[in-house]
Amino acid sequence: MNILTQKIKDVVFSILPITVIVLILNFTITPIGANMISRFIIGAIFITLGLAIFLLGVDIGVQPIGSLMGSSLTRKKSLWMIIIFGFILGFLINVAEPDLLVLARQVDKVTSGVLSQISVVVVVSIGIGLLVAVGLTRIVFKIPLHKLLTILYGIIFLLVLLAPGEFLGIAFDSGGATTGSMTVPFILALGIGMSSTQGGKASEEDSFGLVGVASTGPMIAVLMMSLFSGIKSLTGSLPYEAANTDGVIVHFLKEIPVMVFEVIMAMIPLLVLFLIFQILFFKLSRKQLMKILKGLVYTFIGFVLFLTGVNAGFMEAGSAIGYALATLTGDWIVILVGFILGFTVILAEPAVYVLNEQIREVTSGHINKKAILYTLSIGVAIAVSLSMVRILVPGIKLWHFLIPGYLIAVALTYFTPKLFVGIAFDSGGVASGPMTATFILAFAQGVADAIEGADVLMDAFGVIAMVALTPLIAIQILGIIYERKSVKRS
Amino acid sequence: MITGNINIEPVLSVVVVNMGMGSKILNEAKKIGISGGTIFLGRGTVKKRILELLGLDEVKKEIVFMISDKELEGRLHKDLTDIFHLDKPNKGIVFSSPVSRIIGIRNHTDVNDSRIGGKEDMDYEVLFTIVERGLGQDVVDAATAAGSRGATIINARGSGIHENTMFFSMNIEPEKEIVMIIIEKEKSFEIIKHIKEVMHIDEPGKGIMFAMEVSKTSGLVKDNK
Repeated sequence: MNILTQKIKDVVFSILPITVIVLILNFTITPIGANMISRFIIGAIFITLGLAIFLLGVDIGVQPIGSLMGSSLTRKKSLWMIIIFGFILGFLINVAEPDLLVLARQVDKVTSGVLSQISVVVVVSIGIGLLVAVGLTRIVFKIPLHKLLTILYGIIFLLVLLAPGEFLGIAFDSGGATTGSMTVPFILALGIGMSSTQGGKASEEDSFGLVGVASTGPMIAVLMMSLFSGIKSLTGSLPYEAANTDGVIVHFLKEIPVMVFEVIMAMIPLLVLFLIFQILFFKLSRKQLMKILKGLVYTFIGFVLFLTGVNAGFMEAGSAIGYALATLTGDWIVILVGFILGFTVILAEPAVYVLNEQIREVTSGHINKKAILYTLSIGVAIAVSLSMVRILVPGIKLWHFLIPGYLIAVALTYFTPKLFVGIAFDSGGVASGPMTATFILAFAQGVADAIEGADVLMDAFGVIAMVALTPLIAIQILGIIYERKSVKRS
Repeated sequence: MITGNINIEPVLSVVVVNMGMGSKILNEAKKIGISGGTIFLGRGTVKKRILELLGLDEVKKEIVFMISDKELEGRLHKDLTDIFHLDKPNKGIVFSSPVSRIIGIRNHTDVNDSRIGGKEDMDYEVLFTIVERGLGQDVVDAATAAGSRGATIINARGSGIHENTMFFSMNIEPEKEIVMIIIEKEKSFEIIKHIKEVMHIDEPGKGIMFAMEVSKTSGLVKDNK
């Protein structure tokens, strides 16, 4: 069996649960129509193929680039070089991330253009660039991750107090949204590459955490922007996209060119950086170079297929189910279905796979893959059902969850084994990938649309933030349990 | 030999299998009296033109190191071959090497003599080449050109006496790759010479290479000469 068939087999098992759940819902409580359900099934096939090819490409393309960059920068032994290249890498990889463009467009709309799309993209990317540099410097100086996170979240809390309350959702969403499926594998590998050059226990512990540190960048950037622009409240509104009535196949055909363009844009910086590094530092043999380039081609094909499937097949099905569910059934069923969808959808997130592979490589299989997966699933399930509670009950605001949640997450870092602190904060960015940003978000919007008094747009902000938050707590608790167990054994 | 028991003749058994199988191998080994093992990750290459062209020629592997008494060697080879079908191609390999001394492993005396299974031959050697990260594939290519059939690459780090350096609080240990190749003794001279020439191993800082005796192998596909 070669790696491609192995990958497809793995991926089928992660896409199947969500597909089955949606089909069951369709044939029982929430029929969404033949057109939409056939689109959903074709979407699932696109996603399965796309995810398998994408993961393969990440394996032999994106990750080797990231870890080569990490280790070759360290070996230069120049702090300035690490800081400058850390900033450039973080900035360029993010500036083209499709998720960031979407977020920036929304911010542009809700602020009636006061914060323009381009300014949001640039400022947020600067935020990520700076924080990647900070994260890499942390490894060099051996600053404990929990201390750095305490400082960063301290800054965020301070800004939250000063900034207009309505920005909270956007700011916390931006942390999760911008660390998308392109950036996460790359930044993960960068951190691992850097820490793999050092000896001792630190090598394992420092391997994770860079994504977690980087994703505070956008939050700080967005909050700062809202402060300095002097906006008091959100005035504009988002246009609500009408449901598509195209034929099943036409819909996919229309989506592909859009995605091709988006993915090319997202990959150009990576390719250019790789070629620059190849000339300056790597000097790989022709064979190795070709292999990495092949990997990037796989990444491209896989990503296009995956995103096409998600956008053309899953998104509208999500919002239709949400709408039907909230109109036809009781509140508790909405919350329960939210829980189940959250639990299964996370298995289909590309970056979750990547994170798991990296954990296995770094710890030589010591941390059980299933334990991480199910913990993430439970975390995200809770996040989605809490988001449903927030939409259903008007009195509950986003900050009621976010502020205590992040306080708990930061407090836990002082009790959690170091390796798990890194994994936990990375998993926040990992969990909030394209699946959450489309399917779960659309589901939440569908529910909000059907509930009287719920604001479709305002309630939708914050769903990604919740999905980015709960894994931090869940994985850290897992870490504490792991430590207890292993102490008992010895 | 410095061991607790004069009768002990320790061997190191090495199993190379596909990703995810390592723990199962260890469990089976424990059943026949092996007291423990160490699992780590590596990667192997598949020799197929089409897969190479597509960039899919790499397979993730798990390697299991187990030290046991010589008496268990035969049982281990036979049981693992039976249970995991190692005699079929691409399922995995086992080989054992004599070890000069062990410390930290208790003697299991409750096992009957079981020198069965596996190929009791001294026709093979295992060759370890340690080179800079990224060069492992070149070693494999050189070995293949000289007649070897497969190899496993293991990521590692380490440094010679001149290399270890501090960078602020980081202790930098350069990354390495260990290439493990099973070679037939009759070809070993050729292969070692070829790798040495291609990789310039004999020059300082280019890496090191050493070969070890192999006492028994299972799962190796025979050459059709």
